[in-house]
Amino acid sequence: MFVLPLLLVFIITIIQDSAFKIVNNNQISMLVANHDAGELGDNLTKRLANSGMFKVIEKQEIDSLTLKEEIARNEALTGLYIAEDFTQKLQDLSGSLSARMLSDFGIGEAEAKELSIPSIMFVHDPVLQESYCQSIIGMVHAHIGSMESARMIESIYAEMGVEEVPDEIKQNIARNHVTINKKPASVNKKMVTPNATQHNVPAWTVFAMFFMVVSLGTNIVKERNSGSFQRIKTMPSSFAVVLASKQVVYMTVGFLQVLLIFSVGAYVFPHIQLPELYLPANLVGMLIITLLSTLTAVSYSLMIGAVARTQEQANGIGAISIIILAALGGVWVPTFVMPEFMQIISELSPLHWCIEGYYILFLKNGNWHDLLHVIIILASFSLVFQLLTYLKLRIDKII
Amino acid sequence: MSQAIIQIDQLSKRYKEASEYSLKDVSFTINAGDKFGVFGPNGAGKTTLISIICKLFSQTSGEVRYFPANGHDLSIGFVPQDLALYEELTAQQNMEYFGALYKLSKAEVINRTEELLAILGLSKVAQKKVKTFSGGMKRRLNLAIGIIHNPEILFLDEPTVGVDIQSKNAIMAFLEELNETGTTIVYTSHHMEEAEDFCDTIAIMDYGKVIANDTLKNLYESYNVSGLMEIMILLTGKEYRDGV
Repeated sequence: MFVLPLLLVFIITIIQDSAFKIVNNNQISMLVANHDAGELGDNLTKRLANSGMFKVIEKQEIDSLTLKEEIARNEALTGLYIAEDFTQKLQDLSGSLSARMLSDFGIGEAEAKELSIPSIMFVHDPVLQESYCQSIIGMVHAHIGSMESARMIESIYAEMGVEEVPDEIKQNIARNHVTINKKPASVNKKMVTPNATQHNVPAWTVFAMFFMVVSLGTNIVKERNSGSFQRIKTMPSSFAVVLASKQVVYMTVGFLQVLLIFSVGAYVFPHIQLPELYLPANLVGMLIITLLSTLTAVSYSLMIGAVARTQEQANGIGAISIIILAALGGVWVPTFVMPEFMQIISELSPLHWCIEGYYILFLKNGNWHDLLHVIIILASFSLVFQLLTYLKLRIDKII
Repeated sequence: MSQAIIQIDQLSKRYKEASEYSLKDVSFTINAGDKFGVFGPNGAGKTTLISIICKLFSQTSGEVRYFPANGHDLSIGFVPQDLALYEELTAQQNMEYFGALYKLSKAEVINRTEELLAILGLSKVAQKKVKTFSGGMKRRLNLAIGIIHNPEILFLDEPTVGVDIQSKNAIMAFLEELNETGTTIVYTSHHMEEAEDFCDTIAIMDYGKVIANDTLKNLYESYNVSGLMEIMILLTGKEYRDGV
């Protein structure tokens, strides 16, 4: 009830944090086979090495086939093959473009000649996901773009008879003039820094919490089949009291699970090199969402227990349905990347709304107004599950 | 003349989607202090009858009237054939849980638990989890839970099934003592010898009907037999009832 959910959140956060760091903090290993006869291949290699994002391993002697083989043998995660005519082609292209620009201004005359576009071969380990490959290609492109601009300006100066580009211009070309300030969206002025912990801890805690269906659902079937419910029916206490007491116990367990996992995220994660879980400012809101999430999980478990005929059925239906609802609810993949029809379906998953409630608090620092619709929807889910449980037990003459 | 504690009048039950009645026009009276046995082949309607009397099911027609000594509600004890116990809890915790559901005070629960576990030879294992118990120990605990609230009438469905001779003797001796203190006992079993030794009044059921109901002595005389098994065979035949 406590160790396995905690272990699950630990493992997922470590995995997701590593994936996050691979493109942000850790250096990606890159094997560069630079065969360029000119200086730009060397220039690009230096730029990539100096960017701090790549651990560049230069191997000028290897051909493109060997480069692929070495990447396949895990020598590096990525590789670049720069052909011997890279500088020549880039210079031709820049020169041609600058000549065309100047001719448009009536300075000189542009020669109409056929140009071939320079290219670089990017090789990657097949385990590297497409999104990472695109990020790396984007970084390489940014450096090539900067070099291309510098070449064009040099060509323009040369066309105009100035041999040397002034240092100030060179330095300005080399650096970006526009800085992009990355700010996570927030509904109020308080900023929350999203990280792997902030995303994963609430989502996987909800997933673990809903797995109480295996325990509570099975328990209901067992008691029904063992005659305990029959015996209780002959007693003066209301059966509703018996069910309510079970719910209180399981809600307490769910609540303690959340408390334990969030506490570990906030106070233990920073000591083991994982990002800290920043608790939201609206702690009462967090308590309400936690209570409603546990109530929804308990109500769902009761419903499965009422519907299933055998313990095996309760186990199977319970566990598999939670995995499906978790997938739909955005535990693994955020719902915004799902196709539109799946996004609509995901709203039918109670886990989606539990996670949504926590995200409003943990990632957007939301207030009561932002939480209201989530509170209403979670309460409605609980009510529907409880009602279905009552109806099934009524049909079975248990209550 | 003995006073009736439960009177059953023209009781019938047909389950939804069933083509035939499980109980049809059943009428008899259980008197206070009786050791009343309900017998019959499989599918005769015994469980349905007891379930209706214990208010687990509702009848299709007919009436069950209760005559409690205090004039309010009849206090019923029910010991199902299935072991309705919580295996992860100790014997004492099981007693406390069900005692609370019978709305007994904490002191009453403690006293009755101590008393009943001692009588049924479970005092030494009171703090042990039920899952570690033998079949006989579980049966005895199952019985203890059914009477923790001192019921006026106790329904027992196969109380000695699957237990060793020692547990069986202990259970039957305890039931005798319980009856002597005024508890009416309604008992079903397939152990005819055990039933003969224990019961004083018998109802034999078949195909949802009561086909014989009298004291054991009167039944022997009426059918000119010397044992309950002979009456059963005489009235219900020797054929299997698997498909009933």
